[in-house]
Formats: sequence, structure tokens, C-alpha cells
Amino acid sequence: MTSRVVESHNIESIMDWFEDEICDGENGILVYPNSPTFREIYTQYAKDQLVSAREGQQPKDISQDNTNNDDNKNNNNNKNSSIKEQQLLMHPRILLIATFYDTVNTVKHNLSAVGVDVQSHIDDGSLLIVDAFNAYYPDIDGMKKLVASLSERAIKEGRIGVSAIINTGFFFLYGRDVDGSNLIGYEASLAPKTDGGNVRGFSCYHMKNYRKFSDSQKKELLAQGQKKLLEVIESAVASM
Amino acid sequence: MRLPLSYKKHEIKDENKNDKPLARLLVVDDDLDIPNVVKAGLVKNKFLVDSFTDSEEALQNFQSNPKDHYCLVLSDIRMPGMSGIQLARKVKEHSPNVKVILMTSFEIKDNEFSKVFPSTQVDGFVQKPVHLEHLTNKILDTIGQTKRRLNE
Repeated sequence: MTSRVVESHNIESIMDWFEDEICDGENGILVYPNSPTFREIYTQYAKDQLVSAREGQQPKDISQDNTNNDDNKNNNNNKNSSIKEQQLLMHPRILLIATFYDTVNTVKHNLSAVGVDVQSHIDDGSLLIVDAFNAYYPDIDGMKKLVASLSERAIKEGRIGVSAIINTGFFFLYGRDVDGSNLIGYEASLAPKTDGGNVRGFSCYHMKNYRKFSDSQKKELLAQGQKKLLEVIESAVASM
Repeated sequence: MRLPLSYKKHEIKDENKNDKPLARLLVVDDDLDIPNVVKAGLVKNKFLVDSFTDSEEALQNFQSNPKDHYCLVLSDIRMPGMSGIQLARKVKEHSPNVKVILMTSFEIKDNEFSKVFPSTQVDGFVQKPVHLEHLTNKILDTIGQTKRRLNE
């Protein structure tokens, strides 16, 4: 199954998708219902990836073979981690957040609010926050080049890899691209899976933008079902 | 908590000191707080203000009113669904005389904007966080030629 729907209050399920469903070398698509939900998602993911690693807890992706086993879940804090795992903890994933509707400073503020030491993670190369506009304009391939450079740096530094949370709002800014072909073409250029790749790509769409696509365009966007989709919908609980 | 709008008291120029509203404005921003805060400040400064957090709803409202209903549209740029760029274009298509000011938290310069969006005509920019006095003066300057007191 490549498509899932989760309510926005179920942040654990959303994080499970990020960490378990999208593997290294894969590009997935996230559709979020509103900006507060997207903020909660990227802050929680950053916290899981950066703070957990620094505090010596294993992010799920290190022990993903064990995640379905409750006993093994309890071992996540096991101090007898292998040497390799310890190295990975010392060199966590590089997290790229390409923001569009929030400013870079707002993202920093939001991450700080959940306990992420933003500046130290930026300084040690674990965290990069960019304005997606500047990554896509004037060179539409600028984002790909940025992610590729981070991928190379991750290898050199012995890191697990790169997670790229990229807001696609840029493509909807001008509105001339009424048939969505530019974006679909761009998304199609991101392979659903690259063997041996170390990047987990998350293309993030605001629901108001995503719903502009026709059903056939959505199929194209999802590479005829090869790409995994998580559609986060507004919680009935939250809207009461 | 940081407010997006400074509440420094603004003294309306003498010629504007009467009870009649200065102009009717449409304010659009997807950030839930900003339309309310901006509206409160502008209403205090004698504007009539309709505010929306959804740009498509704002456009529907705009198009459903007479062409001279609003003097000016004040809109955020980066909004999902319909961006401020698209909204500005549709406003100008519908009512070319209505002024459009775009506001943004992101750095933007007029010459850069015209390079990136050459076919989009806007009448000004405001940097967020918005300062009420600056915003009021910007609006008054922008609507200067079309300014008229409502009901006159």
C-alpha cells in the first residue's frame, strides 16, 4: 500500500511514516491540511532526529528492523549499542528543512520551542534551514543540487544520510503553471527510489495546493503509485 | 508573544480628522492572527476593513461587490491555494483602479519583484512585522489619487 491517510492529532503515526515507510533513497509525498499541522510535523521530526540522537537515544531508523517488536522497542535506550550505532549517534542524519510559508527565523523559533538547540545543530552541520524560494529560484534545479551536496557531505562525515523536508509552495506562487506540468515534471524527476541512496526526500504539499491537481495529475505526481503518499487530514477532534 | 503589528498610536493627519471612514480595505493573510490585528489597527485609524484568512474566499468577496467597493487590497504574498501574486492579478483584472499592496515577512525589493513577476502589477510592498503608522501612511500614500471619503 503506497497511500495512507492519518488524522493530524495522530502525530505518532505521522512520525512512523517518516521513519519507517520512507527509507534511504526514497522520495515520498506528504499532504498536510494547514500550516500549524505542518509546523508540528517538522518540529516533531527534527526533535526525534536531532535531540534524540544527541541524548543518546536511537532514532528509529537505526533500529528499524526492530520497530515492530515491543521488547526491542524497549531496547532503544540500551547502552550496549554496537560501535557502528554509536558512531551513527555521533553523526546523525543531516536534516534539511526547506520552508516556504514560514520564514527561516520562524522555523528556528518553532524548533527552539520544542527543545531543539538550533544553533548548535546548524553549527555542527546536522541542520540546515533554507527558504525554498531561494533554493528553486532562479535555478529550478537548485534544490536538487543542494540535496546532492548534502548527500555527499553525509558520506564524507560518516553520517547515516540526509532527510530533506521540502515545502513545494514555491511552485504555486505564481499561478501561471495552471496545468501543474512544471511541478509534475519536477516531481517526476525525483525517482521514487534510488538504490544505494542516502537521502530521504519528503515533498510537502499544503492541501489547498494539492487539491488543485486532477486525479490523473495526482497519479503522475505519485509516479503511477510508485511513490508513497501520506495525506494528513484535519482531526475531527481538533476541529471541534 | 510577538505581535505582527506595532500598536504605536498613529496620529491621523488633520485633513483626515472627521468621523467618516477614509476608505474601505480588503485585508488577506493566511496567518490567523494578522488579519485581526491589522484590521483592529486600521479600524482604529478610521478605515473600513474586511479581513480574510483564505485568499480564495477573499477574491469571491471582492468580485461579488461593486468594482469601487474597495479602494485597496492588502495581501500577504505566500499563501496556499491562491498566493498574493495570483490574488493581485485577479484583482487588477477585475478592477484595474483598485490599489494592491503586498506584505511579506520575506525580504523583497521592488526591482526584484518586477524581475520575478514581470506581469504582475502591484502598487507597493510592506515588510512584516507591520508597523501601524508606516502601514497607515503607506495606504494613504497609495490611495492618494483615488482617495475619497466614503459617502461623499
